[in-house]
Amino acid sequence: MTAGSVRALIGVDTGGTFTDTVVTLSDGRLGVGKALSTPGRVEQGVLDSITRAAAALDLTLPDLLRRTAILTHGTTVGLNALLTGTGARVGLLTTAGFESTLPIAKANKTHGLDELDLGMPTRWRKPDPLVARADIAGVAERIDVTGTVVRPLDEDQARAAIRRLAARGVGAVAVSLLWSPVNAEHERRLVALVGEEMPGVHVSSSAAIAPVVGEYERTSTAVLDAYLAPAVGTYLSALRERLREQGFGGVLMILRTGGGAEPVEHTLRAPVNTLRSGPVAGLAATAGLARTLGRPNVIATDVGGTSFDVGLIIDGRTQRATRPMVHRHALAIPVVEVESIGTGGGSLAWLDHGLGTLRVGPRSAGADPGPACYGRGGTRPTLTDASAALGYIDRLGNAVELDVAAARAAIREHIADPLGISVVAAAEGIVRIAADQMRDLIRRTTVQRGHDPSAFALVAFGGAGPQYASWYADELGVLDVVVPDLAAELSAYGAVSSDLNIGAERGVVPTPLDRAGPLIEATLAELAGELDASLSAEVDDVVAASGRGRITHRTVALRFYRQQRSIELAVEAAAGPAELARLDATFRERYEDLVGPGSADARSVVEVVSVRVDLTVAVPVPPPVLRKPGEAEPTGARPAWFGGVEHRCAVHDWRRLPADARIEGPAFIESEQTTVVVPPLRQARMDPSGHLHLGHLG
Amino acid sequence: MVDEITFEVLRHRLDAINDDAASILARLSGSQLAAEARDLNTVIMAPDGRVVCCGRYVLAQVVSMHLVVRDILAQYTDNPGIGPGDQFVTNDPYVGTLHQPDVVVVAPIIVEGRMVGWCGSTVHQPDVGGPNPGGITYDARSIFDEAVPMPPVRIVEAGRMRRDIEREYLARSRTAELNRLDLLGQVAANRSVVEQVERLCAQYGAETVGAVMDRLLERTELLLRERLRALPDGRWRHVSHVEYRPHGSAPGEPEAVYAVRLTMTKRGDDLELDFTGSDPQAPGAINAAYPALANFAIGSVLIYLCGGLPWVPGGVWPVVRILSREGTVVHAKWPAGVAMSTAATCQAIRVSVNSCVARMLETSEEFAPLVMASCQAAGGGGGTVHGLRADGTAYATMTLDEITGGGGATWLGDGADSSGYTTSPGASCANVEVNEAYLPLLYERRVELADTAGPGRHRGGAGTLHALSPYGTGTPMTMMSFGQGLQHPLAAGVCGGEFGGQSVVAVTPRTGTDDLAVAQGLPASEGWSLPMPSSTIQIGAGDVLISVSQGGGGLGDPLEREPSAVLDDVVNGLVSVAGARRDYGVVITNASEDSPVSADEAATERLRAERRRLRIGRSPAPRATGGRAGRRLSAALDLLPASSASAGTAVSGRNQRERDGVVACARCATVLCGAHENVHEHLVADDVSPAGRSPLGAVYAGGERFVVRHFYCPACAAQIDVQVCRVGDPVLAAIEVL
Repeated sequence: MTAGSVRALIGVDTGGTFTDTVVTLSDGRLGVGKALSTPGRVEQGVLDSITRAAAALDLTLPDLLRRTAILTHGTTVGLNALLTGTGARVGLLTTAGFESTLPIAKANKTHGLDELDLGMPTRWRKPDPLVARADIAGVAERIDVTGTVVRPLDEDQARAAIRRLAARGVGAVAVSLLWSPVNAEHERRLVALVGEEMPGVHVSSSAAIAPVVGEYERTSTAVLDAYLAPAVGTYLSALRERLREQGFGGVLMILRTGGGAEPVEHTLRAPVNTLRSGPVAGLAATAGLARTLGRPNVIATDVGGTSFDVGLIIDGRTQRATRPMVHRHALAIPVVEVESIGTGGGSLAWLDHGLGTLRVGPRSAGADPGPACYGRGGTRPTLTDASAALGYIDRLGNAVELDVAAARAAIREHIADPLGISVVAAAEGIVRIAADQMRDLIRRTTVQRGHDPSAFALVAFGGAGPQYASWYADELGVLDVVVPDLAAELSAYGAVSSDLNIGAERGVVPTPLDRAGPLIEATLAELAGELDASLSAEVDDVVAASGRGRITHRTVALRFYRQQRSIELAVEAAAGPAELARLDATFRERYEDLVGPGSADARSVVEVVSVRVDLTVAVPVPPPVLRKPGEAEPTGARPAWFGGVEHRCAVHDWRRLPADARIEGPAFIESEQTTVVVPPLRQARMDPSGHLHLGHLG
Repeated sequence: MVDEITFEVLRHRLDAINDDAASILARLSGSQLAAEARDLNTVIMAPDGRVVCCGRYVLAQVVSMHLVVRDILAQYTDNPGIGPGDQFVTNDPYVGTLHQPDVVVVAPIIVEGRMVGWCGSTVHQPDVGGPNPGGITYDARSIFDEAVPMPPVRIVEAGRMRRDIEREYLARSRTAELNRLDLLGQVAANRSVVEQVERLCAQYGAETVGAVMDRLLERTELLLRERLRALPDGRWRHVSHVEYRPHGSAPGEPEAVYAVRLTMTKRGDDLELDFTGSDPQAPGAINAAYPALANFAIGSVLIYLCGGLPWVPGGVWPVVRILSREGTVVHAKWPAGVAMSTAATCQAIRVSVNSCVARMLETSEEFAPLVMASCQAAGGGGGTVHGLRADGTAYATMTLDEITGGGGATWLGDGADSSGYTTSPGASCANVEVNEAYLPLLYERRVELADTAGPGRHRGGAGTLHALSPYGTGTPMTMMSFGQGLQHPLAAGVCGGEFGGQSVVAVTPRTGTDDLAVAQGLPASEGWSLPMPSSTIQIGAGDVLISVSQGGGGLGDPLEREPSAVLDDVVNGLVSVAGARRDYGVVITNASEDSPVSADEAATERLRAERRRLRIGRSPAPRATGGRAGRRLSAALDLLPASSASAGTAVSGRNQRERDGVVACARCATVLCGAHENVHEHLVADDVSPAGRSPLGAVYAGGERFVVRHFYCPACAAQIDVQVCRVGDPVLAAIEVL
């Protein structure tokens, strides 16, 4: 194969600090690039990062882009706008008499608060409002539960309301009416009226974005969408332009909160789908890894600077969150389930004098000044400082040296001396407490949901996951602990390996399954029609580039009467009596698997709550170049403390480790961006694909 | 000895195990109360039942679950015995639950023959039997007219559910299928806790786990005592009222009034809650049995006093002494009915503790950030609704509309609008669409209601209006209302802030879609005379059920609120232009829908000066320059030491000397009285009718018996305190120096 005919796929993930790129070439080579994220001009960081990945493959940026069929990107532009409160001024049109739906927020004053605020009732508060009450306008109309119009839409009144919002200076509009998932007629008409009265302004329709029953969550989603739309739209359009200027003629795909990626043309219609794509990319990569490893069930764990994230892959698939929230705002779109706690490398260690205990988190040192060992003026000890003080890490990514003395001083002053213990004992305590919090979260996402960890492999990634995996994966009884190749850039790898996925979902009035056949059939048909009509030309380009066909999935979400959790099941045949009976039986079986034998009472009614059609196009990634077997050769050694004892530890270079190499702890395995800590009595084994497997010795 | 690191690991683990139990329960439950309102909670307890970990859902359901455990330990140790894998179910309010709909399931945690602790949970059930759907009989003559409670019964034996007892338990309910799901959820949640604590014991040793529980209890007690020691000694009082029509009341006779009277005394590091002055019990429904009193009193101490401390109710118990007399409305004597306690007397208990604790915390600048006014104490939407759907099937449930009242104001800011009860932190109201999907009704309105928030320098959270009609069914809907606070406000303000707005519940004929707007626009002065809800209200097809959830209490003198903050509220529809003038003395100009509004500073200045003059009938003294003197007696009062001349005779102790001192207004430094006197008697008291601020101008017969009593500094006219009392009540000694 000549260089000219080598085709490329690119994945780019923008995080808070770095923008990572992974390039896969059709000849099996991989290129990795990392650049500082550039807030304000995010697309520059993306281009820098791709340029570096290209350089790693001895290509120029235009060289690489010209041979790229698909570039898949995970962005935090939307999330940042939300976190920094810099989204659009949103106007909301809603059913008259129900203007307070969003401010009432179902009376939530505690959900989503951190542990410290939860313990202080005077700090309980509503989610930060995204729309001022004065920018919410009631529209005279009403539709009932059956979709019947109770009160026709008063168009004159609606136009007046829209003009008032325009006069108030809103920059985006959300529309969310009662029962619009059942009958979207009024909502569609309002969208058209906004288009006439406020041309060029982004309009987010709840019935289009999140047509599910439950007006608070649906309204919240539409408002989030409108809030983010200008920022995300401006950014993605700018990025698309810059890429084209540099020779890119392929399809730009954007990662979705619900998993998979979609052509940017689709994203621009509902940018809310980008909100939580970061953790999703890591999970997508883990799902791919699960296939490679032959492990259908995987616990994906990611230690970042401020949080620890856990997601599950079950039977090769990511799971959908039950009542997702982002920054305390409810989301009614599919969201891949990722549980988080505020324990990460930057988590502060502190003494709770009242309780007489050493605590880690939930407050964090943040990026600035960051941990004491970053040498940027931080003086409070963090989890990263504990690792530095113990000798587990001695540099930050890109070979920045850590100030170990500052880490030790911070731990001595704030923890060790007040407790009357050594710095090493204090630092090991901090690591242990943090690791236990992480393990508690893993238990909660597995055992407490009816999953037995001994049927799972655990994958550790993120900048710091490989540092702590040996501890937090302990005692869980998992099948295997894997630190994947590209652990620190796994989100970018997840982007490049994400399939195209476009879905259409519709909530229905909860209906007993045995009577729901016609409803399911009719809704599936409508959704399939809507989906077809919505597809952009780019979808065909992806089909062509991937060499794979479209696959359509039809699913229904079922639950027992009024229960909180629903289970999605595939509809495999026409929804006649036989298929309904099969769905009913499958649901009960699945329910008992999760909840326990005997829990699915025969008398309990199963009801349908939503119907969904997904279109998927697989984007196959070329297989990696396999490593040849051999023996491990350390590249150096450095001292570190385990169990209060100083050890001389071998240091290995991850890139140069041959397949089947076994490394006995205590030892460190370093790549450019991360360090795998192998404690005493543990070992690490390299597999041919470049993944490390951690385990106990013997 | 457990080191700090192991202690932290196990503490975190126990909390995680307990939180998981709540998640399991919420997930398995089929009832809306559990799924939406999170009307449930879980705990882990020490071997004697003291609660070590509790979830932050409905606090009052679990903080004294030790009463259930102690009953079991006292009565069942030999027969039927308490063994590994056993679980006990009860809904007996005279043993340990709040009222019959709250079902408790507890399980011992026994590891290798050693009792390590207990776990348990409470879930509010849609129906537990009795004459009326929903489990509550308004005019019960005794508990025999209510759902007859089930004492603790061993429903799971050595891990196996007793089918006969399960049947017996479910047979009484109209909603057996939902109750069954909840029961399974509670049993599964306990099972999960037991298994995980067993594993913890295997790893760390049962002794270590026990030591961690002990240390959590000890440290919490120590910390609370430390906090109390840092506060001045004192005595504070609050009176809160409940209205109720006992069975057989004569037509036209107004509701009987039951007063809950609290005298709270803090000496050193002890806190005494003395409810003995409360009124004798009613025949039925509204009374609290002792467990409900204990749960609400301790739950309130946790919320209002223990911010920032570990939430370990078992550690709070030894610090707080509850005094009560059996046979009173707060401590009912069997067989008095108690099914409606939580919505009635318990809220009066909660508000009383809330108010007295706030008065205590006001004495300290350090603890001022913990001061919080009362959240909603009731809502007109509170109650059960039942009837028939078009297909003839029955429904009986709560709409949960009530859980949208305002939160209390704090020094950190305004109360949280439409945020529900502070004592049920995790509870949510239901989506309109969810209620319409399952119940034959149509909402016409659900909006935050202007002028319901208790005015103050920081205002309370706004309350909410709901309007709905039966829909798609030919039969009327029946409501059994719990609505309290209809005749007078209940949600107390603090530091001179006003009470939050009253509840409203009304049924009016529907004459057109804009009907309600008219009702809402009724000027308060015109009044809207309404009948008190009787034991059951019928809402026919042509009727609208209107309900208002109370606003939260305010903090500080409303005339001190920043006019710009009032303007923001007007722009956002939370305060009306008339309300701005009436409640805050702020003049809003240019108020029309299409043009921006502004606060007229000069006119506001003049109006506020005029208000102050009206308060005391003469020109007010100016604000004093310089800082505060002496120690704080309240947010608005200072306690100055006795002059050197009289201090010479003081002989014994600090308290003696404090009573020899004088009380001065903190704003103008005018000395008001001696510290041994009731300072409220030396303030200008002004009684006004609650009708003046009632939402929608609603006026209920019987309301004329109550007044809102404002207390002003006689020199500078600062609003120092606001109380609700009956006409002619003597001035309460709300603050007493010891």
